[in-house]
Amino acid sequence: MSTNALPVLAAANTAPMRPALLLSVLGLVLMLLFVVSLGVGRAPLELAATIAQWMRGDSTLATLILIELRLPRTLLAALVGVSLGLAGAALQGLLRNPLAEPGIIGVSACAALGAVIAFYGGLSAMAPLALPLAGIAGALLAVVLLYALAGRESSTLTLILAGVAINAFAGAATALVLNIAPNPFAVTEIVFWMMGSVADRSMNHIQIAAPLMIVGWALLGTSGRALDALTLGEDTAASLGVRLATLRLMLVLGTALAVGSGVAVTGAVGFVGLVAPHLLRPLVGYQPSRLLIASALAGGVLVLAADVAIRLVTIGPELKLGVVTALIGAPFFLVLVMRLRRETI
Amino acid sequence: MTKVSRAVVALLVLSLATPGSAAPQRIVSLNLCADELVLRLAAPGTVKSVTWLARDPALSNVSAIAQTVPVHRGLAEEIVPLAPDLVLAGAYTTRTTVVLLRRLGIPVFELGVPKSIDEALKQITTVSAALGTQTRGAQLVADIATRLAALPVSTIASQQPIAAVYQPNGFTIGEGSLVNDLLRRAGLRNLAVERRIDNYGELPLESLLLAEPDLLIMNGEAERGRALAYEVLHHPALTRRYSDARVVSIPSAWWSCAGPYLVDAVQRLHQIARQLPAPERPQR
Repeated sequence: MSTNALPVLAAANTAPMRPALLLSVLGLVLMLLFVVSLGVGRAPLELAATIAQWMRGDSTLATLILIELRLPRTLLAALVGVSLGLAGAALQGLLRNPLAEPGIIGVSACAALGAVIAFYGGLSAMAPLALPLAGIAGALLAVVLLYALAGRESSTLTLILAGVAINAFAGAATALVLNIAPNPFAVTEIVFWMMGSVADRSMNHIQIAAPLMIVGWALLGTSGRALDALTLGEDTAASLGVRLATLRLMLVLGTALAVGSGVAVTGAVGFVGLVAPHLLRPLVGYQPSRLLIASALAGGVLVLAADVAIRLVTIGPELKLGVVTALIGAPFFLVLVMRLRRETI
Repeated sequence: MTKVSRAVVALLVLSLATPGSAAPQRIVSLNLCADELVLRLAAPGTVKSVTWLARDPALSNVSAIAQTVPVHRGLAEEIVPLAPDLVLAGAYTTRTTVVLLRRLGIPVFELGVPKSIDEALKQITTVSAALGTQTRGAQLVADIATRLAALPVSTIASQQPIAAVYQPNGFTIGEGSLVNDLLRRAGLRNLAVERRIDNYGELPLESLLLAEPDLLIMNGEAERGRALAYEVLHHPALTRRYSDARVVSIPSAWWSCAGPYLVDAVQRLHQIARQLPAPERPQR
């Protein structure tokens, strides 16, 4: 569905679209995919009839599958997609770096590390909220570290290399924790944490992750105007009345909350925060404030579409979400790198 | 018995000229199922080492006996100094160690995976022959056969309840497995067989719920630490649909290896199958 929408968006490449139109198109696609996602799965389900049953308050096997399996899965895919799209756009604004993305620069990997420690260490069994909080702590650590290393006036290269180092460290530490974990299945579960999945998640996961995630959205979503000013440089922004320290804090905290709580329940899904903002940037006239919401919606579309695609491929065990997003995102990343190189020459 | 080990046994018999004394005196096991067999069948004092897993009560039926025997972790360098005159290994496990032991001229007996109780009984007989304790083997086989024969015969197939084995990560067990034979003997139909799942395969939670088996069979041992693999077993959609009366827990050690606990597993399944409440069919 999103692939159908892409040529339409690309055709309008040169001139920015009317904001209301763009947002309604994205919102419509997101809603459509949401319904499609409810209808797709291993069990054949008559969606309309099942929804009708559920509305009547009937409790059947079909409504159980719809409400307890499909709905949490769909909601979680949308929530995480929105978080990643939003965080990608915000990070690119904060670090003023077009390649900043939670997965590429290691924020997601650190969030996964935090969640892995809380989950396999048994902390989240005692207090469920420990899971998203540990994910947020991991993400926060990464964002703060990255900002210290490559936040101000540093090159794209510095940021990406710092990301490589953070990713490598977080990945190794995650593997280490999983190896020490008492459970024999733990070691094989590194795939979930590095590639991400929403399969067989339940409403419990949404309950623990969504509130913190939405606080993160609020922090990121309200930073638009300040980000617009920041494109003119820190000094100009400050002279326009932007309180830089507050802005930084909002963006860092918002990213950590949105990405950390999501990764804690779905694992790390890569490249969404890169693809979504870059596809939309030309359509919003390169204006960060307008990019944020659009990119959030596009992130939701992307992850939902990936999750629907996964369920349509029925050969063998289910693919992880990150496999699909990386197959699309990694070539995209490469194209961006090449374009950047051309621009600097 | 493999040709090699048969030849080795024959050679030993010839060289010593007294058939009774050919029984191996320094036995080492490299496989959890072989551990149980040697600890049950070998003459006292002849088992020099078993795997470290044998001491784990969650995995092994003979963990108490294994406490009295040294254990190893399956590395050739641990086995060779023990100078075994017979090593029992699984056909699919510790391959590098087996190759190395063979190269050093140590006789290795490879154990297949029994696909039915009959095959399991055959395995007990051949292993006891290799250990030189045929009488013990015959005794164990007779015990198992008698207890099995005492179980009531299963009812008409169409009235049999449908059961699904549900394991961590949403895996189930189907045709061509020991577990499937046990279900059949307990008078249960296996959902995995009807879904044409061979041996060990994935059964998505949605498919399981929609198939509505009358009985869920889960691992009985306590979960060790936390793992995502278990989450599907505790999914609200599943626990809401299946009350405790429709879930039976079987310690996985009971039906993983040839031994007397296979009968205990059939017994437990049979008992639960008979007590099943009327199937809760959904309104549609």
